[in-house]
Amino acid sequence: MQTSDVGAATGGGFRALALRTSLGSLLFRLRAVIVLVVLLGIFSVLSPAFFTSGNLVILIEHVAINAILAVGMTFTILTGGIDLSVGSIVGLAGIVAGGLIHSGLVLPHYGIIVYPHTWLVIVIGLLAGCFVGAVNGALVSWFDVAPFIATLGTLYMARGAALLLSNGATFPDLGGKPELGNTGFLAIGTGSILGIPAPVWLMIIIGAAGALLASRTPFGRRVYAVGGNERAAKLSGVCVQQIKFMVYVISGFCAGIVGLIIAAQLSSAHPATGETFELTAIAAVVLGGTSLMGGRGSIGGAIIGAFVIGALADGLVLMGVSEFWQTVIKGLVIVLAVILDQLQIRYSQRAAAALRS
Amino acid sequence: MNRKFCWYVCLASVFTVFAGCSSKQARSGSKLIAIIIPSNDNPFFKSEADVASARARELGYQVSINSHDDDAHKQDQLFDLAIANKAAAIILDNAGADASVAAVRKAKVAGIPSFLIDREINEQGVAVSQIVSNNYQGAMLVAQEFVRLLKGKGNYIELLGRESDTNAAVRTRGFHNVLDKYDGLKLVGQQSANWSQTEAFDKVQTMIQANHNIQGVIAGNDTMAVGAVAALKAAGLNRVIVVGFDGSPDALAAIRTGDMKATALQPAAEIAQMAVDQADKYLKTGSTGAPEKQLIDCVLVTPTNADQFSNFAPKE
Repeated sequence: MQTSDVGAATGGGFRALALRTSLGSLLFRLRAVIVLVVLLGIFSVLSPAFFTSGNLVILIEHVAINAILAVGMTFTILTGGIDLSVGSIVGLAGIVAGGLIHSGLVLPHYGIIVYPHTWLVIVIGLLAGCFVGAVNGALVSWFDVAPFIATLGTLYMARGAALLLSNGATFPDLGGKPELGNTGFLAIGTGSILGIPAPVWLMIIIGAAGALLASRTPFGRRVYAVGGNERAAKLSGVCVQQIKFMVYVISGFCAGIVGLIIAAQLSSAHPATGETFELTAIAAVVLGGTSLMGGRGSIGGAIIGAFVIGALADGLVLMGVSEFWQTVIKGLVIVLAVILDQLQIRYSQRAAAALRS
Repeated sequence: MNRKFCWYVCLASVFTVFAGCSSKQARSGSKLIAIIIPSNDNPFFKSEADVASARARELGYQVSINSHDDDAHKQDQLFDLAIANKAAAIILDNAGADASVAAVRKAKVAGIPSFLIDREINEQGVAVSQIVSNNYQGAMLVAQEFVRLLKGKGNYIELLGRESDTNAAVRTRGFHNVLDKYDGLKLVGQQSANWSQTEAFDKVQTMIQANHNIQGVIAGNDTMAVGAVAALKAAGLNRVIVVGFDGSPDALAAIRTGDMKATALQPAAEIAQMAVDQADKYLKTGSTGAPEKQLIDCVLVTPTNADQFSNFAPKE
């Protein structure tokens, strides 16, 4: 019954329960959804190409990249941390997988080149992501490095590693060769099941798994507890270090998947892939109502946040808005969402005070 | 309960959206030309986009301009959107010779012809046209002028472009095809500054710390050359000969004041216009009447003729 202990430890249980019934609070909580629906409406009216099945599938496929990153990012932010290295992990995982398919694994002592099977390539690519995540986790939990700095360091290291592995070049033609048994990699990015592209399936699977993990498992409750009040969580028996380690591994894993998807979509791996992805992922998480201070937020929110950013990006391009305005508008929406977030906090505090008196 | 409600609203909105899809039909016979360039804040790419869009409007097309920031993934998404927008043709300055093939092929499958400018891709038969300036010829022109100014001897530094860019490799090969024939010329430093002015400034500053005895700097593009000029000036090395490549407005100004000595002007304006004209012809007749790969020669710009050029084209 560790979950209930933790709920009490964060001290928010009763207050939150009381607030959930209030309509105003509900509207605030749904703000990302409201923004999304409004955006979809505006773009549908202004651009005839926007509201077509073809484009909506494309939109969701584009969103999938950021949404998967945002799921991992939410876990780190829920613990009060952050993961700046996801963009670099995307590049690294792509290069690892691309290199294995394109040039194989050279074993200098035996003078042979090994081409691993596609499944193994995928596993190794994901492990590369998890490995960088594990380095982040170790730095944050056992070496007490501030998450911002630790992941900034690995941002550079992972990018450098990607450049070193590829010597700055691009690995082309990742279709594989039947005689080497490494075909089929491209299906991760370009395949589709039941008419829905593979990246969208991956987003659905990872989103659902992430949401279940966060809200329905002891691990998830502990993540919230660590972010809500680390000391209280520790005193109530949560192994804070272990939780912190795991969230960075999860984030690295998600970034690894994105790296593989992009390499498969482009049928080539470039070491600079994924630059600034961390920022859009963080924006999606914050838009979805997750507090950067930790302890408050949800996976579903982050995915909706990713949809807001994706709809905005694609819709503005389809409408033919000038690039300079696109940048300004994206910034405005993020700032607006954070202002709403602050208003909600103030509102909750006032409501809580009223409840107490 | 609240979370559940949240999800219901989500699902409901997604379903409404999907339900609405089938009822709408996209416009057919659009006259949209999508122009995709590496960035909007670089004068070279900006003038490509300006010239191409002006020409396309002249021919009666609608135009959209977007930049991919040298990110092949973003470029891929812009292609998706051009396809969704039912563009008639795409004019592209691409984000990597290998990484762009998949996107261009996707457009071809969707029935949208692509016309590549400035940079090639490593596959033929996917794009309708690939019109690039003759980087090899231009690099040799600049290198010959560099040798003439240095009288065939001295220490020099070379600044390379972004390694993933084919043009960077082609230009350095062109430079060395000329320079390596002179035993008196010594390459004392060679670094990539990724086409960037600030990076070139930093790298040159560091390299002249290591070796003050420098007579020349040869740069893979003008942006880096201008960065090198600033670093050399800051170090008081005013007599170093700096040459670049591109013919950007900055470099032309620097050549007029004597800070730079030469550059190879890429006929970017001409290339952009050719691409639009060929797109127009292809859409009307089904053929451009030209081979896929087309090389356009560069022009050497020196203090004597710098006044005759602007915006990557001879002045009218």
